[in-house]
Amino acid sequence: MDAALTDRSAPGGWLARRLLQMVPLVFGITIVLFAVIQAAPGGPEGALLESGRFIDPQVIEAYRHRLGVDRPVPVQYVRWLTAAVRGDLGISFSTTRPVTAMIVERLPATLELMATAFGFAAIVALGLGIFSAVRQYSAFDYLTTGLSFAGIAMPVFWFALILQLVFAVRLGWLPVAGTGTVGDTSLLDHLRHLILPAFVLSVRYIAGWSRYLRSSLLATLRADYIRTARAKGLPERRVIVHALRNALIPVISIMALNLADLFSGAVITETIFAWPGIGRLFIQAMFSRDYPLLMGILLMGSVMVIIFNLIADLVYGALDPRIRHD
Amino acid sequence: MRSVHSRRLERPRDPSNRAAATLGVSVLTAAIALLAACAAPDAGGRAADGGTGGDGGGRKILRIAYEREIDVLNAFTSQNLADIMFSIVEGLITTDEHNTYVPVLATLIPTANNGLIAHNADGTIDMTWPLHENVRWHDGQPFTSRDVCFTWKFVVSPNSQTYNRDQYLGIVDCLMPDEHTVVFRWNGTYAYYAGLFEAILPEHILGGRTTEEIVNYTPYNRGPEMVGTGPFRFAEWKPGEYIRVVRNEQYWRGPEYPQIDEIVWSFIPDTNTRLNAMKAAGFHYARLLPTQVQEVARVEGYETHLISSNTFMHFDVSANTERARVLFGGANVRRALFHAIDRDAIARQLMQGTVEVANTPINPSSPYHDAGVIASTFDPQRATRLLEAAGWTVGSDGIRSRAGVRFSFTMLNRAGTQDRIAIAQVIQAQLKAIGVEATFETLESAAWTQRWRSGQWEAMVSAWFLSADPSLTSLYLCDGPNNMTGFCDPDLDRVMLASDRELDFAKRKPLLDQVQERLADDAFSLPIYYNVVPEMVSTRVGGYRGNGTNFGSFWNLWEWTLR
Repeated sequence: MDAALTDRSAPGGWLARRLLQMVPLVFGITIVLFAVIQAAPGGPEGALLESGRFIDPQVIEAYRHRLGVDRPVPVQYVRWLTAAVRGDLGISFSTTRPVTAMIVERLPATLELMATAFGFAAIVALGLGIFSAVRQYSAFDYLTTGLSFAGIAMPVFWFALILQLVFAVRLGWLPVAGTGTVGDTSLLDHLRHLILPAFVLSVRYIAGWSRYLRSSLLATLRADYIRTARAKGLPERRVIVHALRNALIPVISIMALNLADLFSGAVITETIFAWPGIGRLFIQAMFSRDYPLLMGILLMGSVMVIIFNLIADLVYGALDPRIRHD
Repeated sequence: MRSVHSRRLERPRDPSNRAAATLGVSVLTAAIALLAACAAPDAGGRAADGGTGGDGGGRKILRIAYEREIDVLNAFTSQNLADIMFSIVEGLITTDEHNTYVPVLATLIPTANNGLIAHNADGTIDMTWPLHENVRWHDGQPFTSRDVCFTWKFVVSPNSQTYNRDQYLGIVDCLMPDEHTVVFRWNGTYAYYAGLFEAILPEHILGGRTTEEIVNYTPYNRGPEMVGTGPFRFAEWKPGEYIRVVRNEQYWRGPEYPQIDEIVWSFIPDTNTRLNAMKAAGFHYARLLPTQVQEVARVEGYETHLISSNTFMHFDVSANTERARVLFGGANVRRALFHAIDRDAIARQLMQGTVEVANTPINPSSPYHDAGVIASTFDPQRATRLLEAAGWTVGSDGIRSRAGVRFSFTMLNRAGTQDRIAIAQVIQAQLKAIGVEATFETLESAAWTQRWRSGQWEAMVSAWFLSADPSLTSLYLCDGPNNMTGFCDPDLDRVMLASDRELDFAKRKPLLDQVQERLADDAFSLPIYYNVVPEMVSTRVGGYRGNGTNFGSFWNLWEWTLR
């Protein structure tokens, strides 16, 4: 009891503990990531061979030696870790460029795409969730329920290609792929390129979040304190606003966890729409067994998941006064 | 009581509830309207226009939907078949649309007939390459024989990572009689000599650096110091998006070349997106899949060219494992398997008639192709007879066996290669019809490559990419560095090695004919078809001459036009 009181009076202590816990956690993650990446069969020389050209075997050996992948895995890991703690994530095998620079270069595109999708999804999901809950079992509710299930179940690549066919090929309203027309630096051109990939990405979030919000709001509207509010004669609009704040708590927690996606990108969407983000970089790194680049991207993604978990906990506590971090 | 409240909430009648619901819809509508506001009608041309050309303030901009982002622009250290860089850099030679080497920075290719090949008393051979005199690098520095010899030194250094470095090792010295003549001194005769030096490195940029430093030198690999002698200068590389090159105003072929102001290679890795991008008329050129050809046949403003590639698809059986030797050890058994495979059906039906059945590894466009060779005929009855004669009899499960060994093997597939897997499925079904079982093991690309190189597999459908030189030694020599099947025919070795040493076409051709006939007779690798690369090109593009070699169709960009 005393300890709990102490924690309540000193939330900074809880935060410091959580931050300290992150250090061994990240260290453990790097070991697992490195081991899993190295355990995958094949090596970076695969890219050299994939073209189908005749390759001098000595070139393959020289290539492996230069990259250091002919050394024992623990030695490779220690070398990588020693550099990483100094902020050096190594040199990409395929492009011979610093991994950090490559990630930093791709991050803005991913952040922009994901943030747009998030923002749009949040607005739409809020509208759909509220409306569906307030009009439960109405035609609109059934329609949004059906569309939500379709949104969750629909393969992203298929949906993306269909949108391309309709809006780019048939109607000619939007471009097929890319971030902009080369030579056209206008904001409008860029926004037009952003619409389809952002919409495709947002559909999954809209479908999920609107369902969460609908369920949460329905449960909240049945709570005793809402009944009390109504009995006191509070106008229905204020009752709903009142309920919404509590109903949003679990939804916002889920959204906060999803925020980690902002940094890890969307592999399929970015590939289909030729969007130069982290997701596409990850796929390239994976197929070419570019170990330093893979480690860099995965490490960043892992750290972001941990950080946004922490943020989710903080948000949860801020929104719900019943929750205390002890 | 609770249920009463629930029903009311479920079907609200209070006007204020409707107001809240309206609020939700309003938010939704506003969001969609905001998004839709940005969707203005496309200013670009539609499909009938054949792409958006000449749309950069009067500049002629060629837009290419390219299938991948390359790694580096150094043609010798790139792991990709990087045809992009041949717009910027040039070599002593290139290949034309007839699979023939043609000089670029050299004025002539040395041959036995033009007097540029001299045999020395010590057994070495001097090959003299005269160079064009008015060539300058993009930064204005003159191109000389020093650059050529510098390139040779780089390629043969142990860490250069040049994929065909071994082919350069026969050159023992590089001599520079003057600035515009280079002489390669070879330690013997190598018929592939004409296909080397497909690019030249700038000595004034990369000289004074170690091999390692050159390999990792980013300013040249992808940056401002990337200079060549080609028709276009490097301008910009936007990571993940595109590479842009602009007209070289000082191009050595004359002020009228090139005839295009700018080229943009946009990286569009997804094949369906690439197709959609072409249909939306956003680009002038794209490579497609053979299975997409029919879909684009009626797109106005474009022509689809089926470029026969030097890549040939083949079905291999292995001699590397004990089980594979038991199953495939007899030539008649291998022939039986090949007789069961209907290659014509694969070409006509599976590949929709876009490809040509292959009978030898050498492409029909090559003057060394032997049209008289038939690798195998579709004859299941003969296949059955051959298997019966070899003692493989059908068991109760419908699969043949001999001395307790079932005729069952595993085909190693590479994930993501739909064409190869589809072929493997056809072969699987056709072999089953003669009582032979083929099962599949599918591995992701890098894992597949590792297994393939290790020799631990029994059968597979695979593809090789040959250069314009027809040498097959690397592939089929008993200890050839790329002999993955493990089969060995010493007689074949002798003929192949002799063909590699013969510079005279009239003498080399019969030797290579023998090689192709013997390969068909040995029957350890069944050519299936020559790969076709469908290239969708805007009708506004002129000068296009499709090329199936590693130089690709951009080999003559200097003469392309854009109407």
